Amino acid sequence: MQRPDWAPDTIDIERPSVARMYDYYLGGSHNFAPDRAAARAMMTAVPDAPLMAQANRAFLRRVVQFLAESGVRQFLDIGSGIPTVGNVHEIAQRVAPDSRVVYVDVDPVAVAHSREILDGNDRAAVIQEDLRRPEAILGHPEVTRLLDFSQPVAVMVVAVLHFIAPEDRPELILGRLRDALAPGSYLTLSQASDEGRGGTGERAEAERVYRRTDSQLWIRGRAELVDLFAGFELVEPGVVWVPQWRPESPESAEDAERSVFMGGVGRVGD
Amino acid sequence: MTESAQTGRSCPGVFARAWAKAVSGTSYLPMTQAQLEATLHDLTGRLAEAFLAEPFDQRIGQQVGGELVAAHIASAEGLGRTVEVIQLRLVRDLGLVTDDADDRMARLLATVATGYARALRDRTLDEQEAIRRAAMVARAHAERALRDSEARFRYQANHDPLTGLPNRTLLTERLAAAIARPGDGADRVGVCVLDLDRFKVVNDSLGHQIGDLLLITVGERLRRSVGEHLVARLGADEFAILVERTGRTEDVIRVAEAALAAVCEPAVVAGHELTVSASIGIVEQPVRGTTPGELMRAAGSTLHWAKAAGGARWSVFDAERNQRELDRYALSAAIPAALERGEFLLDYQPLTALADGTMRGMEALVRWRHPERGLLRPDAFIGLAEETGQIVPLGGWVLAEACRQARDWPAGRGGAPFVSVNLAVQQVRRPGLVDEVGELLRRTGLPPERLQLEITESTMMSTVEEPVRALRVLADRGVRIAIDDFGTGYCNLAYLRGLPVTELKVAGEFVSGLRAPADDPAGRTDERILASLVSLAHALDVTVTAEGVETAEQADRLRAMGCDAAQGWYFGRPGPAEQHLGRSPALTGTTA
Repeated sequence: MQRPDWAPDTIDIERPSVARMYDYYLGGSHNFAPDRAAARAMMTAVPDAPLMAQANRAFLRRVVQFLAESGVRQFLDIGSGIPTVGNVHEIAQRVAPDSRVVYVDVDPVAVAHSREILDGNDRAAVIQEDLRRPEAILGHPEVTRLLDFSQPVAVMVVAVLHFIAPEDRPELILGRLRDALAPGSYLTLSQASDEGRGGTGERAEAERVYRRTDSQLWIRGRAELVDLFAGFELVEPGVVWVPQWRPESPESAEDAERSVFMGGVGRVGD
Repeated sequence: MTESAQTGRSCPGVFARAWAKAVSGTSYLPMTQAQLEATLHDLTGRLAEAFLAEPFDQRIGQQVGGELVAAHIASAEGLGRTVEVIQLRLVRDLGLVTDDADDRMARLLATVATGYARALRDRTLDEQEAIRRAAMVARAHAERALRDSEARFRYQANHDPLTGLPNRTLLTERLAAAIARPGDGADRVGVCVLDLDRFKVVNDSLGHQIGDLLLITVGERLRRSVGEHLVARLGADEFAILVERTGRTEDVIRVAEAALAAVCEPAVVAGHELTVSASIGIVEQPVRGTTPGELMRAAGSTLHWAKAAGGARWSVFDAERNQRELDRYALSAAIPAALERGEFLLDYQPLTALADGTMRGMEALVRWRHPERGLLRPDAFIGLAEETGQIVPLGGWVLAEACRQARDWPAGRGGAPFVSVNLAVQQVRRPGLVDEVGELLRRTGLPPERLQLEITESTMMSTVEEPVRALRVLADRGVRIAIDDFGTGYCNLAYLRGLPVTELKVAGEFVSGLRAPADDPAGRTDERILASLVSLAHALDVTVTAEGVETAEQADRLRAMGCDAAQGWYFGRPGPAEQHLGRSPALTGTTA
């Protein structure tokens, strides 16, 4: 695609975007040729990549369903990506129409698209921010307008942490978010993991593919993920391969490690 | 529907479950297995309806295909599995009975696939369009953000962050524009440069925060008081007002007066009632032939005139005065180079003992042999050098040169004359004075008692403890200390007590009174003052030299009252040392 001369450099559609690659894995068409090329390269290295995205998306759906049914009415979805199908506000507002949702993404195209999708929904909004700037997220006018942090809020950091480098101190970022949360709030994490898979070569290849994109990949083991829940009480079954998190049927949890994603839900104690 | 098309054993639930199993995992399905089965159960009924419809209705199958895509069962694999399940199980599981089953099945599958492919293609196109639109919006947004930040940057570059007023850059731009487009009533332009009087006192006593608040208040008042004219903050407590399209200087003076009045109103800043005043330099002239820099410089130097005149006022630029000041400044700035090139020289004027006409000493007087302006006397440049601080290197040169030359003066009847050198206040205050003089004497070999330092009364008055100590050290080593121009200052006698002064040089004013006839009351007063000074000095063991002695009569009367020495044209005009050294000690002035 020829980029018009007036397009500022900040919107670089020649470069694969992880949000649009994720959309492609999910079967969406909200993506450009460079996104599809990178996604296909990823699928060559890791054939289960689309499965990973689907399993992770299903995890998100089950978690939001669980949280909404547990009485949570406020959601902060950080790294929400391209709204494809089964978005948080759709799931939560189906359970409780008064649920309020703020999406956060760093990708300007994802944000612009989300804004269009959410147009007319006064209980959901999207902001362009970076997970690495928790203060800016918590202090954003849209966030303070829609979310009341004296009441429980579910913070979703799903399929994003693997784009946060260790030197960006994810534990401090999550700690800052935790400090803002009232008792009864929740944190949901999921990220690519090589737990028990070390040395297959897939990790190196996957990281190599993502170096071409706007986000580098950082894979973590289960113990690292458990540590990131510091200050939260893990909800059963703890940190597991995402298909194993409260599956709808026993067979849907089979071959769970093929999903590559581990995740869990933690609760802020009373 | 025909008789033969009656359903037999019908289990749509079994079929829907098998269908759900077949398509799960073909794409992301945003629903539970139960929801999926319910959706497909619904569609199963529609398939049966389509299969049995008489006549065959292809719309139903197409709708089923479209609804599968709408339910996000939307992938090539999803379609393939669906075709497979329908072909293999629909008729059997639902017990559908019809005589043209193969034909109907083929048509049904064709319509489902058509509807499915059409819906998938439409969805793809819609999504592509949506993401392209989002990309455009994001780009436009980023571009706007860039433009906004450029505008913000430009605003910041042109405005003062504290007061929000335009800054020097914007003022200069506007001034340049005004100068560049003369004509149509815009042939003249005016600039006021305004500076708060004693603003530093506010900052020092109340702190910078209060000072900043005061500047904000002043900026706001200026903006309100001068109407449409541009008010800029140049920096610190300096503001400027651009008055465009003036007719004459009075137009700018009116603006300046309004500004002064606005600033002088008492202001309450953070609970402090502050009264400030300001000074304004005004320049108003035709735009032709000038530049923004020239106008700003002119307004700036005019501001200093207003300040020097006591502040709380405006001054209008005067080109002649400015030229004089520029010349003086240029002269002062040329002193270091002139020192390098040896353009200064010393003349001497004798100090003659009244009792016997012998030359006791000579006062060194500096001259500047200026390459363009000829020989300059000290009054052309010494005052200026004192203002600019150039007096320190210049005075240092005079002192060193005088010592060097005096060393070689031959001893006359009363011994070799001393050399008397004027010291400016800055020289006296310098910490290294004692060492400098000591080093000079050592290097030249001039005995300390042959050096006299002349210091004015005002220097003594303004001199604090440390420099006085330095003078005392020098006096203890034998250097003579003279008070120059005695009688013209405050005549504070305290330092005569506190300092080892060796000599008073009485100012010429008193001596000129001696010229009057003896019965003139004014002349008599001067004579009495002189006589009293002489007896006072002698009582303190201090000698007296009268300056400005021009006639034999004056010399006689001074001698009569016991004055020790005299200096003036009568005893010798300033000139090279040799001119005085060669002369007979019995001077013309000695009549006794």
